[in-house]
This record gives sequence, C-alpha cells and structure tokens, in this order.
Amino acid sequence: MKSVFILQWQRFRRAPILVLSFLGMTILFVSVLAGFGGPNSQFTIYTYGDPSLEEEMKVKWLDRLNEAENLTFKWVEESEAHDAVSSRDAGLALKLMNDDYRILIAVQEPSSVSVENYVYQVFSEELRLQEVASQADGEEFRSELERVMNEPAIQIVTESLSGEESTFIYDDQLHVLFGMTLFFSIYTIMFSLMNVAEEKRVGTWDRLIVSPLYKWQIYTGHLLYSFLIGYFQILVAFLFFQFLFGFDLGERYGMLLLVIACYTFAIVSLGMLVMGLVKRSQQMQAVVPILATAMAMLGGAYWPIEIVTNEILLALSKGMPIYYGLDALKGAAIYNFGLPELVQPISIMLLFGVVCMGIGINLMERRA
Amino acid sequence: MLETEELKKVFKGKTAVNGVNLYMDKGESVGLLGPNGAGKSTTISMISSLIKPTSGDVKLKGQSVLKDPGIIRNVLGVVPQEIALYEELTAYENLKFFGRIYGLKGKELEAKIQEVLEIVGLKERQKEIVKTYSGGMQRRVNMAAAMLHEPELLIMDEPTVGIDPQSRTHILDTVRHLNQEKGLTVLYTSHYMEEVERLCDRVYIMDHGQIIASGTKDELKSILSGEETILIDLDRPYPDLVTDLQSHDGIRQTIETEKGLKLIVPKGSKLLGSIFQVAERHQAQILNVNVKVPTLEDVFLHLTGRKLRD
Repeated sequence: MKSVFILQWQRFRRAPILVLSFLGMTILFVSVLAGFGGPNSQFTIYTYGDPSLEEEMKVKWLDRLNEAENLTFKWVEESEAHDAVSSRDAGLALKLMNDDYRILIAVQEPSSVSVENYVYQVFSEELRLQEVASQADGEEFRSELERVMNEPAIQIVTESLSGEESTFIYDDQLHVLFGMTLFFSIYTIMFSLMNVAEEKRVGTWDRLIVSPLYKWQIYTGHLLYSFLIGYFQILVAFLFFQFLFGFDLGERYGMLLLVIACYTFAIVSLGMLVMGLVKRSQQMQAVVPILATAMAMLGGAYWPIEIVTNEILLALSKGMPIYYGLDALKGAAIYNFGLPELVQPISIMLLFGVVCMGIGINLMERRA
Repeated sequence: MLETEELKKVFKGKTAVNGVNLYMDKGESVGLLGPNGAGKSTTISMISSLIKPTSGDVKLKGQSVLKDPGIIRNVLGVVPQEIALYEELTAYENLKFFGRIYGLKGKELEAKIQEVLEIVGLKERQKEIVKTYSGGMQRRVNMAAAMLHEPELLIMDEPTVGIDPQSRTHILDTVRHLNQEKGLTVLYTSHYMEEVERLCDRVYIMDHGQIIASGTKDELKSILSGEETILIDLDRPYPDLVTDLQSHDGIRQTIETEKGLKLIVPKGSKLLGSIFQVAERHQAQILNVNVKVPTLEDVFLHLTGRKLRD
C-alpha cells in the first residue's frame, strides 16, 4: 500500500499542473466573488465639514453615522477628501453641515447607493426628531424617547431553530469560500482517481495484481492519495483566505477539519462509483464536469440553498454530499456548532461514502 | 514445476480457451505459439493468476494456484504485451517501484536495479523519462521490471511486438541468457515463429483456444519429415496456375504467398520438372525457385491450414 501511495505522489510531482490549476481556480473564483469589497467588508467614507459646521454638531453627526456596522465615517480635511475621490481611492466623500449634508461622488457605484440611503436615513430621522423636540419640551422629549426605545410596548422577535434572530445568517464571503472550494475539490479528487482507470488501460494494474500485493492494498494506496490531495486542497484554500484575506472561519477548527475529511471521503467514494459505472477514462473526463456542476448547483455551492423554494430542487439537494458539506462547514464556522449539532450532516456524508464506495468497488471488480 | 489441467475460460458464452493441458519443467524454455486470437494471452493470464479459469486448475510444484494465488505471485515475473509502465517517471523510478512491491529495499534494491538495467542495456539512460524512450527501449524496461525480484518463472507475452530489429535482438539474447545461464524457467508466447525456434526447447501450438500440437522443435518438424517445401517466386499472380497445381496429384498443398507460391510436396518426389511444365503452359514467368526443409511455420500451416500472422 505504501509503495502504491508513494508512487502517486511521485506521479503528482512530475505532473502537478492539473491539481494546482484547480487550487488556482478556487483561489481566483473566491477572490473575485468574495475577496474584495463584499458586503461584510468595512467601507470607509471620507467625511469633512462645511466651514459653518459647529464642533458640537460635527461630533453629534459622526457619532450617529458611525452607529452603522459596516460603515466607518472618517473625519479628514476637505482637500484630502477631494484628492481621495478624484484619484478613486475613495468612491465618495461626505460633507457635513449643521442640518444638512452633501455627497461628493466621482462615479456611481453599487456601494455608493447604500451609503447614500444610509446617510439620508440618519439625517431625516434626526431632523424629524429635532423638529418634534422643538415643538415639545426638548430635553424631556428626548429622555422620554430614549426610555420608550429601551422598553418598547411591543417587541417583535424572530427566531430560527438555530436560536438566532433571523431565519438564517448569510455570510457571503464564507458561502463563496466554502462553495467554490468544495466545488473545485470534486474535480481534483475525481481526476486524481482516474489514475486507477488509466492504470487499468495501460496494464500496470494487471502487473500489480500478479504481484504479491493484495488488491485492497492497491485500492487503499490510490484512495488515500486521492483523499489527501482533495483534503489538502480544501485546507490550503481555507488557510489562504483566512490569513491573507481575513475571512472569519470561527474557532471550531477541529470541527472544520472533521467536516472536510468526511466530505472528501464522500467525494472519493462517489468518484469510485462513477468509475465503476463508466467504461473508459475518457468517459470519466466527460462525466466529472457535468456531475460537479450539477452537484454544486443543486447542493447550494453557487447560491445559498435557503433562497431556493422549489420543492423538487430542495429534495434533490438532499442527495448531494456538497449540501451536507456546506451545511456542516457553515454550522461550525458561523453558528459555532460542535459535534452534537453536526452529527447529522457528518453521518449522512459518511453513510453516502460507504454506500458509494461499496457499490463502486463492486462494479469495478465485476468488470475486471 | 508448473502444469495446467484442462484449463477452460468462457467469456460471455464465447470459449476463449478450451481444455488446455501443458507442463513446464524447471529451467525449461517453452514456447506458446499461435496466431492472434488463439487464446495465448488468456492462457497465460490464467497461469499468472490474473484471471480465474471457468474450469480446470493451474498447479505450481503440485499446489493449486487457484486456491492460493500467492504461491505463484512471489516467484513469477510477467512481461505483458503492452508497455505497462508509468511513462511520466524515469526508468529508474519505475524499477524502484516494481522492486518495492516485491519487498526489495535499500542496497539490495539498488543493486538489483543496476543489474537489470545492465542486462537490458539501459544503465546509461536510467534517469530519463520513460515516455521519451523509443518503443524498443520501453519494451526493455518493461522486461527489466519483471526480472528485478529474480523470479523462478518468467512469462513473456509477445514481448517484441512493434519494435526495431536491434531491440528485438537484445531482448531475445537477454531471454536466452537468463534461461541458459541463470536457469530461469521461461514461458514465451509469440506469433513470430523464428523467435520461438530460436529461444524455446519445447513448443505448444495453440489455435481456436486449444493445444493442437506440442513437443520439441524437432518432434514438431517431424510431423512434416516426409515432406519438403518448394518456394516459387513469380512475376505476377496466376490464378489458373494455382488451380492446376492444386489438382496436381503429387502436390499435397498449394499456398499463394506474397511473391508467388509455396508448395508442400513429398520428400524426394522430383516434381520440379512437371511444375515447370505447368508453369510454361500458363506462360508464367518464374523468377526464383527454392527447395527447403520444413519450418515450424510450415508445421503450423499444415495443422491449421492458415499462416501464423493471419
């Protein structure tokens, strides 16, 4: 087994392009789709004041505006803000006045719309409160408003099974990272498994069969290699985006490693099943892209499965290991789930793997 | 050392090998001769434990290979018909891998690799990638991989198919050296008659999945000991001449060849005169005439009615 396993790495060393290209594509796709300027990244808005702006108002507006989670309003000199916008270092800049504002913008971008909306909302709300306060007893109204806001008469709480205050937490960056990584790992694993089909074609497989090696040793050598090459690809992609792009993978590293292992096992087994079904390695080359893309689409790698409402598609997604892989990874990284909460997707992936492996090897041996 | 008992293999209702019985003594070089599709490869696949026979058994030193394939796998070297190597690796890396799977390691493995590379004449080019080799060189590495662990029995399945004459000579010399100098038992399958004549002590002739004749080369040739072969080169084909010769009383067999005709006639029958007369009647221009003793090829032709490479 060891000899067969080492041999696969030797062969990889001589022809690494295929595997490395899939890792490269993972990094490229995740970088493009989620690495830069995603909804979760902090957006800094250069803010400066009109000469008429009073110091007290400047502090008040900045405090109110910086209540936003994803926006940072940074106070700069007017000239600096102008330079940043004209050189495109900043998409827009905000000019504050005592009871009004102006937005300095060079090119309209999708992100500037949300900033404009936010600033408009803050100003209109504050000015409306000021208007009401000026008609009532100013100080008393403010304290009454604060009390009511802290103890509202009616409180609406939306709670999901996960206990969070929304139906699901959608982290775009992590979804893209998990989806694309698991998607491209299917290619790497299945194409590396094609070594078995290739060995059967050229006759080295027969040479191994008539050697003192047992058949299980030959299979294990190949499967272990395919497992590890897929596992490392996923791991490298995760580490790359965590340390270079600051993606937040949570603190459940052990669970993430376990989930990756179970998913990789399921895909290796699926690859064996496909190899058992096709007759030639060329057929495998045609089947793998179709299978990988279909699984990724149905399993929720391209978009969150939570937005799918079609019952048939939802039912089909339950048959895809990538669905359970994504579910478990998000559970560990976003919801901080441990083994008790993730035992279901992990078990399903393992069961899927065992069944596919059994059928796949059986089919291959029958054909032999 | 090795014997097969009524070996039979049926693939999807088609009988590929039917009741093959053969034996090999230690140190013997045995040829398995037959045209493409005769069942040679299936027979050696069953002997080497690669496929299970539908019925029958293979016995090595009296023990059933069918019951325990391990007994033959440790002492067997197989040179397959195809180039069964990892072509992206070097010859050295390939041999290192195949040595390891037979349990060789360390200095012993290194020494064996260098020894077999020396034998097949590729020591100087061992660090080159296999796919950059010529077909003949690849076949030599293919053979070297089967010799690393010093097998007691070497099975070679058409090891010289599609290679240059120089590499073919090298391979044949190597096999003869291993058999005669080192006492290696060799089962050599081929449809090249001259290779089998050159290498093997005994020959089994197979056709349509069955052994149709066996014995030493002389024993087989004695089948045609009362006959001789007349080869006639003609300037062009003469169908009517062939028809006339086929009905000639003294001629046992008339076969058209690329250059003209091959006639099997009784030894010492002195038929040349009447053959020339028939040729003259058809105004056939004879370019060359050669009378020779029978070869294994002639024996095969006599037994099956067709040529080995048909």
